[in-house]
Amino acid sequence: MKITICIGSSCHLKGSRQIVEEMQRLVAEHQLKNRIELAGKFCMGNCQNGVCVTIDDENFSLKPEDTRAFFDNEVLPRLK
Amino acid sequence: MNELWIETGAISLNKTGESLCGDKVEISGGGDEDLTLVLADGLGSGVKANILSTLTSKILCTMISGGIPLEECVSTIASTLPVCSVRKVAYSTFTILRILGNRIAHIIQFDNPATIVLRHGEIFDYPRTTRVIADKTIWETSFPIERDDVFITMSDGAEYAGVGRQLNFGWTRDSIAVFAMGNYMPSNSAKTTAGLIIDECERLYGGKPGDDTTVAVARVRGRHTVSLVVGPPEHREDDQRMMDLFFGKEGVKIVCGGTTSQVVSRYLGKPIDATLDYFDPEIPPISHIAGVDLTTEGVITLSRVLEYAQDYLQAAKLAPKWAVQKDGASLIARELFENATDVEFYVGRAINPAHQNPNLPITFAIKQQLIRSLTECLGRMGKHIRVSYF
Repeated sequence: MKITICIGSSCHLKGSRQIVEEMQRLVAEHQLKNRIELAGKFCMGNCQNGVCVTIDDENFSLKPEDTRAFFDNEVLPRLK
Repeated sequence: MNELWIETGAISLNKTGESLCGDKVEISGGGDEDLTLVLADGLGSGVKANILSTLTSKILCTMISGGIPLEECVSTIASTLPVCSVRKVAYSTFTILRILGNRIAHIIQFDNPATIVLRHGEIFDYPRTTRVIADKTIWETSFPIERDDVFITMSDGAEYAGVGRQLNFGWTRDSIAVFAMGNYMPSNSAKTTAGLIIDECERLYGGKPGDDTTVAVARVRGRHTVSLVVGPPEHREDDQRMMDLFFGKEGVKIVCGGTTSQVVSRYLGKPIDATLDYFDPEIPPISHIAGVDLTTEGVITLSRVLEYAQDYLQAAKLAPKWAVQKDGASLIARELFENATDVEFYVGRAINPAHQNPNLPITFAIKQQLIRSLTECLGRMGKHIRVSYF
């Protein structure tokens, strides 16, 4: 699974870094490094919403404080 | 004119307890124009020395670069400088370094430590002739320059560093020359070279300089063009033309901005490989595109570069940060401030609707202002700037 986080200007200001760091921490904590690839991406053209995040080809918009819930509700079930 | 470029950099330390420096460096020209650099050291310290050295350096620099004979310049100074009420003399030592037509160096000195010249990193000895003008013994030299020549001028505060502390007789001009040779690297900028010597002086003085200490360096280097593209063109049909021009230039290529890098990626047919390394928590990570030397985010990164540029022109307190950090802003700062002699900006005027949110500090107006301020700073650093809008 590949999770891509937008690191463009707009998303950066909305908290990309916190999401990247939280994701890196969660992936390490769940020992999923060999199953999840984290990547950065410049502008995904959906800046009006929160920080743009994709799981493979699915789009999501996140706020930093939602990262944990996103991981539990969207990421983990897809690995089952 | 040839492909040589004269770069200068000067740093001063004030005598402990003084808020004004009694040394003064005045520079006119440089780059691909004739250079006149005057380093003056006023008698005494504080306000008095500052006035003497300011007058001396300013008068000499203006008159000499205006082609007025040395005799006339020196007699003008002698009759202009205020006479010290304590010592009954008007006095400021000076070093004049001129580089003419990017070919010939001409050094004129009165009483400062002799200018050190490094050629291919080795100490270069040059012949001198002396003459007496208005009771002052002045020596001169003239020789053809070569690429990578480094000229190090200094006030005698440098030689006094360490007297009675680490070194009994201070740091002599010759030992400074050996130090400069030992720390020589072809890539060292003039400012870096001056900084290395000044830092050593400060160390030898134990952090408390006993005299105003100044090092001014001129370096002969080759020209180096850096091209930077930021923002997609206002009209999409101009993408191709903008990219053709951007990639048609020699030199280093920097791409700033997410959407801009997508334009570049399409043009080159190469993917954008984004990293997730936050070397600086406030600066977005850089990306890689094959065929581009550096790819960064746009406005936030360039805002930081502008901050570094403004600082560079004043106190240079942030230089230790950008000189070594690996974030996008530091990488751009190093390339623009240290390496570039010519900078070409390719600025796209497309408005990113998502950025036009008054709550975000990345609106179009801010971006335009940012580019204007940055180009102005680079111009003041002596670089040739060209800005093209699309």
